[in-house]
Amino acid sequence: MSGEAALKDRLKRLIVEELNLVHVRPEEIGDDDPLFGDRFGLDSIDAVELVFQLKKHFGVVIKNQSDGRTILQSVNTICAFIENRPAA
Amino acid sequence: MNAPDVAIPFSHRQSAHCETGVLSNLLRHHGLEVSEPMVFGIGAGLFFGYFPFIRLNRLPLTAFRARTGAIMKRAVKRLGVALTWEKFRDPGKGMAVLDRKLLESVPVGCRTGAYWLSYFPERYRFHFNMHNLVVFGRRDGAYLVSDPVFPEPVLCPEEDLKKARFARGIMAPRGRMYYVTGMPSQPDLRGAVRRGITDVCRTMLKAPGPFLGVKGIRYLATSVERWAVRLEPRQAALRLGQVIRMQEEIGTGGGGFRFIYAAFLQEAAGLLQDDRLLTLSERMTAVGDRWREFALVGSRICKQRAGAAETYAGLADILRRCADAETGLYRDLAARMEATR
Repeated sequence: MSGEAALKDRLKRLIVEELNLVHVRPEEIGDDDPLFGDRFGLDSIDAVELVFQLKKHFGVVIKNQSDGRTILQSVNTICAFIENRPAA
Repeated sequence: MNAPDVAIPFSHRQSAHCETGVLSNLLRHHGLEVSEPMVFGIGAGLFFGYFPFIRLNRLPLTAFRARTGAIMKRAVKRLGVALTWEKFRDPGKGMAVLDRKLLESVPVGCRTGAYWLSYFPERYRFHFNMHNLVVFGRRDGAYLVSDPVFPEPVLCPEEDLKKARFARGIMAPRGRMYYVTGMPSQPDLRGAVRRGITDVCRTMLKAPGPFLGVKGIRYLATSVERWAVRLEPRQAALRLGQVIRMQEEIGTGGGGFRFIYAAFLQEAAGLLQDDRLLTLSERMTAVGDRWREFALVGSRICKQRAGAAETYAGLADILRRCADAETGLYRDLAARMEATR
């Protein structure tokens, strides 16, 4: 599994486990699937937890609402955000 | 006949909040370098209000910043900028006047209903009639738009912009548009900053009644404790969810406006050459982190992910610590303004 594929896999497991998606398996989340909305039932309250978990597990900080909208769209957008973070 | 194409050279910058971002971008266009946090601070944007008697979606309203429009009005007044506002009954006339200003090379701020802006992904569209953006040109029947929540300028078809400017419903924009008609020859930035800080301290510490400022935060703390006792779990979670949504909205990661104000205090420290404001900025960041903790624990309670220690009583305790920290901070800030007057 490539580094990017492994990261996406880790992200999907994180989303399912930390957001308590009891009826969804990680592999059912497509890389481009919209995370928020009807499909997985996630809303802005879940986004609070997701932002916290991304900081805890990957050290990335989403600073504001505009960034959050763009970054949290899908596994692919989160993955791109994590991979493009500036070096510490 | 369609209006001719026009593109005003306009520097777009993304921002955290539409009202402050639009004003910052407009002022920069007219030669006054003022950042978004500066606009927020000068306009005394920081606020807290818990209004159990005002309902939004049948749930009590909580506000973390000054009411929409107030920040802009206060900021331009304190900076000595002349901002002309117009509103229209006739959509056709409203669009024609917009076209005329563009031909005069004047970028125009517009208040819009975000739901009708087709460049927003559909899932992010909601009925909010106070969304600000700047129109800075026309191309092929569409408008060039600097929307501060987007990283780059966007194109908006004429019909969509017309619908957005004349959206119906609560706080209908009625085609409201605004543009700069006068800039100060020597803006008193330091004076504007001091007036903005004094205003926030007064509102947060001395606003009358139990619902505003730090008293409002304590009132909310008491309410949160009571929800757990008096309401069904689902009703309590709905009320809590409403507070968190108003604080966070799609993952801002904390009491975002507290962080913007911390950035403002940091800039103000340089402008006023007062290093003590840097310490106060750090304290404000710590307050923002505490609000973030409130949102995180609250979200877990709402979504039934809470650990044993994450309770409504614990949330009330976090809120009281926010209120204590903010009370001390505004007192020290007001004293600093007084001491350096």
